[in-house]
Amino acid sequence: MNLLDIRAYVCPMTWVKAKIALDGLAPGDSLEVLLRDGEPLENLPRTAEEEGHSVALRERAPEAGADAWRVVLVKGAGEISKET
Amino acid sequence: MPLSDAEIARYARQLLLPGFGPVSQEFLRAARVQVVGAGAIAGPAMVYLAQAGVGTITVDDAADVALGDSAHWLYPPDREGMPRMSVAIEALRRVSSFTKPKLHATGADPTAVLVCPESYGVAREAAERARAAGLPHVVAQGDGDGGVVVTVPVGAACFSCASMAGAGLPATPGAAASLGALAALELLLVLAHAAQDPKGRRIELVRGVPQARATQKQPGCACNKPRA
Repeated sequence: MNLLDIRAYVCPMTWVKAKIALDGLAPGDSLEVLLRDGEPLENLPRTAEEEGHSVALRERAPEAGADAWRVVLVKGAGEISKET
Repeated sequence: MPLSDAEIARYARQLLLPGFGPVSQEFLRAARVQVVGAGAIAGPAMVYLAQAGVGTITVDDAADVALGDSAHWLYPPDREGMPRMSVAIEALRRVSSFTKPKLHATGADPTAVLVCPESYGVAREAAERARAAGLPHVVAQGDGDGGVVVTVPVGAACFSCASMAGAGLPATPGAAASLGALAALELLLVLAHAAQDPKGRRIELVRGVPQARATQKQPGCACNKPRA
């Protein structure tokens, strides 16, 4: 499992870091992301799904801090175009 | 070489764009853009190219800064009489530490060309040199309160097929800035491979309204013949 710790980052770097990490994976590969509660937890899974990836797990990660969460993303087959 | 943390932070906003990713940014970093004609249109275009992360910009212009150039983004009035190339490079260094602005010199090895001279004839010559060298290029020509931007990816219809001489009026500052921004965007799309299988196109700016159409090779033109 690939691991990405973005607890130290704020928007937009949270998703930028995740996007770059996903970019290096093959479709179907998983990325475990450690992030903070609040804006990162609200936005990152949603953005990932909007861009064609799926969220396999979302759970608290108390061993990483009181406000830490673990989200597992599964890379989609391809980026969803936002062109209409 | 992967993007550094500093580069990721610098380009975060465009790295977020759908269809644009770290590989696109690395393509921009690897690009070497020759800018022919560093006047009113090229000024804003070069600023945008530098801000987007183009790795090297070589400035190709033999003129000195003139009094009228103070409206050209890169040339403050106190630089009048100095070579445009050196003043432009000085200004671009302030825009981004990730871009290397250089004088264009013999032996430079550009990967793309931005053609922005005031003269239509000079633009045609520079565009033809770029086409013959197999380099993607974008040509921007102002004409009063409008103008045209022609994008020529490798193998597309050439500038001559896609253009005609305008009235020859210098572009107003607003039109020049708009054309420069459009030209930079077109070149960035080609460089970043963001546009899959990029096609040639011509964007006309008429009284502030841009209209794009695909370009077509004209019968008998050199660009319509197989390359030897």
